Formats: sequence, structure tokens, C-alpha cells
Amino acid sequence: MTLAAAFLVPGSPLPYLRKDNPPWLGLAAGYEKAARSLAAARPDVVLLYSTQWMAVLDQLWQERPRLQGLHVDENWYEFGELPFDLSIDGELARACIESANALGLASKGVDYDAFPVDTGTIVASNSLDPEGTRQFVLAANNLYHDFETTRRIATIAGEAASAQGKRFAVVGVGGLSGTIFREEIDIADDRIASDEDDSWNRRMLGILEKGETREVDRLCAEYVQAAKVDMGFKHLAWLQGATGGRYYGARIHAYGPTYGAGAAVVEFKI
Amino acid sequence: MAKGEILAGYLAPHPPHLVYGENPPQNEPKSEGGWEPLRWAYEHARESLDRLKPDVLLVHSPHWITQLGHHFLGVEKLSGKSVDPIFPNLFRYTFALDVDVELAEACCERARARGLVAKMMRNPKFRVDYGTITTLHMIRPQWDIPVVGISANNSPYYLTTEEGLEEMDLLGKATREAIEETGRRAALLASNTLSHFHFQEEPPLPEDMSREHPFSHEGYRWDMRIIELLRQGRTDEVFDILPQFIEEAFAEVKSGAFTWMFAAMGYPKLPGKLHGYGTVIGTGNAVMEWNLAEAGMTRAEAAA
Repeated sequence: MTLAAAFLVPGSPLPYLRKDNPPWLGLAAGYEKAARSLAAARPDVVLLYSTQWMAVLDQLWQERPRLQGLHVDENWYEFGELPFDLSIDGELARACIESANALGLASKGVDYDAFPVDTGTIVASNSLDPEGTRQFVLAANNLYHDFETTRRIATIAGEAASAQGKRFAVVGVGGLSGTIFREEIDIADDRIASDEDDSWNRRMLGILEKGETREVDRLCAEYVQAAKVDMGFKHLAWLQGATGGRYYGARIHAYGPTYGAGAAVVEFKI
Repeated sequence: MAKGEILAGYLAPHPPHLVYGENPPQNEPKSEGGWEPLRWAYEHARESLDRLKPDVLLVHSPHWITQLGHHFLGVEKLSGKSVDPIFPNLFRYTFALDVDVELAEACCERARARGLVAKMMRNPKFRVDYGTITTLHMIRPQWDIPVVGISANNSPYYLTTEEGLEEMDLLGKATREAIEETGRRAALLASNTLSHFHFQEEPPLPEDMSREHPFSHEGYRWDMRIIELLRQGRTDEVFDILPQFIEEAFAEVKSGAFTWMFAAMGYPKLPGKLHGYGTVIGTGNAVMEWNLAEAGMTRAEAAA
């Protein structure tokens, strides 16, 4: 296995579209640090899972060789558009589909013009690969897959990349605490919605930073419940599975709010 | 200006399979048919809507999910190709719709006046969700009636079901006020499935009806119970048990369209006309109509 880099990053478009907003400066800067690390790692392919690409039938994998277009986020449309131009490693995607199906995890590819690429995938790929030089494998978040199933699928992806002799990076795209403000706020005053959420986020980031993997596993379900973590923190499951758990700590490049919800840019030490 | 009125409300679910089964020219994928009873049900609803000749169709869709409040399409013309992210093999539909922006703005203002967070979506490059498009196609494939598109705020998921549906009740009442003050003759479309447990794998031929049936006996029983109450006009009882229905049948009405529509209509105790029922990947779908115009109830006062 040639693991080149691994990151957890936020999928909210806010720090990407409004990099100048003081509460979001840190997240935007954190994304820049992660982008430099990814460039230095020189992966052949990036295995990316976004909580915002939701599926309910089968495990979906993007197979279209090139995805281009302009997306407007369904929540934050007033802040602008999200252009995208993504290259897909179809050979690896097909290998993931084949392996997953062989293991009883029903999978299929999607290859359609105008397919609605999700905000999280666009924000992460544009931020981490601003020159658009990387190839990606994109996997959907099947809403009925639990943490463990997601980890198994990610393991398949990592093993398939290794079997093809590829250096790969792993990116899990999603948020931390999931409570957003339900009233309009001045975005200049954005903050984590509650002290309790903030405390939980910092606790989880702390143990990720120290590489205390058993403690992460022990606390994960409680954290998910207490802080309403985005999609059950399955983006961490993706990272754990695809890396084979081979990390010994992490750098927290940034932590901050996205309209009350928690977000962080985390680079894992591998 | 004459006072506006709600002519009718329709329970108008949005499985893209129905468009796929119909094979309209706007949809790229072609099928051998399928889901005919539901599509025939929509044919009846189309005929009824055609007779009403409304000025505007208002549709509340669970697939435009907004986190911060209730949003309204606020651009006069929206067009594009809608590809369903869940069923891209079935639904790749080229659409163009006209928005009744004046009414949408009135709905938004009235919602704010009732204490809801409400926003106008003004970005012309916005991608209209497939739930809105599917419901609109199935009820009016000519696309010749202006539309008000309303998002599903995730409040029923974030709050308790009861708290979230209270918001939808306010949204419905605000919608009625806006329709009345703008003088529109309106039809409401609640884009909701009933029981929503579904199969997680698709047959090789999606329209193979030998594979289509209710996901569970319990879900089917719940659907029949709700439909029978609605057919008898026992509206109060439906709303009494709605939270239990949502909980036990994972009913999509949790997303709010059904409550929004009934609140706007004033929770009429009018027997609903069932045009048809059928399952789609195991979910329960009913096409139903409450024709207030026919019943002489368009001027009924909204429930307090």
C-alpha cells in the first residue's frame, strides 16, 4: 500500500466562497496548508468521500472521465457559484466497484452528463487541488450505510489503489458538530453554536491529533450523538478504512465555525 | 383585485420512476413502461387540474433541503437539465419553468411576518431539485402554468416532529394569506410519498414490475389507514396520528409538504379523492386530490 496523504476537510462552501470573512479565515488558510501538503505528497489519485453526495440505492462511484460545470449550493446560493473541473480515475473506480460487489456490497458506477456533483466534493477538490492536476475517485455516502460499512468500502478503495500500484491520498469531506444557527446571523459573528459542541469538537480533534486511535473508536459514537456530528462522522470511517488505520497522529490546520456547525482541516501523520 | 383562492390541493409524490415509465421527450432514458397504476392516477389528476385552470402551481419539495429557514424560488425563468443524483439512470430531464415571483415574494414576506426564517433564492444559475420537477411534470407536463417552488426546511429533522410540523403549519397559513392578497387562483402540490421504507438495491430492469411491491406489510397497512381516513374527510384524526405514522412508517410527510398544504387549505374535512395508489421501490405513493372549488370551499376560513 502506498499511502501518500490523508485529510479530513469541511464540505461547507462558506469558507471557500467568503474567504475574507474573519471567522472563516482560519478554515480557508487551513485548506491552503492542506493543499500544499497534498501537492508535496504527489499522489497519483485522491480517494474522496463526501457526506453531501447522498445515495440510497447501492454504493455509487463516479465513472465519468471528466466532470465540468457550475454548481450553485442549495443553501448558500447568495454567496456565489462553484465551478468545477474534475478528472476521474475510471480504471480505479471500476476496480472498486468490482471488488465491492464481489464482497457483497452492491456498487455501481455513474457516468452521466450534467450529473449533480455535490458541494462538498467541489469545495474539497477545488481547495486541495486548485490547479486541477489530480485524478480522483469519488464515492457516495449511502445514507443506509453505517460507520462500519463505510469503513469496509473505504478499505476496498485503498486496497484497489494499492493493487494498481498507485500512490493515493485519502480525503474525507464533512463537518464536525452539526448544529447550525436557525436564525439569520451576521456572518462576521459566526461561532460554534454551543459551548458543549465546541468542547466535544476540541476533545475529538485532540485525540485525533495525538493519534489515540482506540480512544477515537471508543468515543466516536458518543461524540456523534452528543454533537449531532455530520452524517455520523462517516467521513472519518472513510479515512480509517482507506488508510488501513495507518496514522500516528494529526495536524489540525484549522478549526472553526460554519454558521454554527463545527469544521476542521485535519492532516493525518502517516 | 379580487381576493385570491386555493382551488385544490394534490398529494403529488415525486418518484422519478413515473417520468421514466412515461417516456416523455424531455427525459433521456427510455423505458418499457412500468408503474402504470400510479401514472394513470396522475392522468386523472391532470384532467382535474386542467379543468380548474389555476394561475399558479405551488409545490413544496423534500428534495430542496434547506438548513436555514424556508426558501422560495425567486427567479422569473429557470431552466436546465435535471439529473437525479439517486436515480441518474432513470431521470435526466430537460426543463424550463416560469416562476410567479410576485407570489413567491408575498409568501416569503407572510412567512416572515409569522416569525419564520424565510428567504428568496435569486441566483439564476440555481439547479432546481428533481422532486419539484418530477411533481410538476406529472401533474402538468405542458409546463404552461407559473410555479412557486418552496424548499423543505429541515426543521422536522432538526426539531421534534411536532415542532417541525408546527413550522409547516405556519408556512401553510402564510402561503394562503399570500395567495389571497395577490389575487391568485392557486393549486397546491404536496410532493410527498407516504410510507418511505424502500429496497436498497435496484432490479437489473428497473421497470420490472414483478419486483415491485410494498416494502413491508406494516408500511402498507399504515398507508391504507391514512388513505381511508383521508377518503372519509377525517382530517383531524389524520393529523392526530401523523407523528406516529411518521415514526412507524418512516413517512416522507415528515418533510412537511403534506402539513403545509393542509394548513394552507384550512384543514378541510373534505373527503379526498384517491386517484390511485402504488409502490415505487417499495415506498407507498398515493395521488390524491382535495378539490375545494368543486366543493364550494375556496372561501373557507383558514384554521386559526
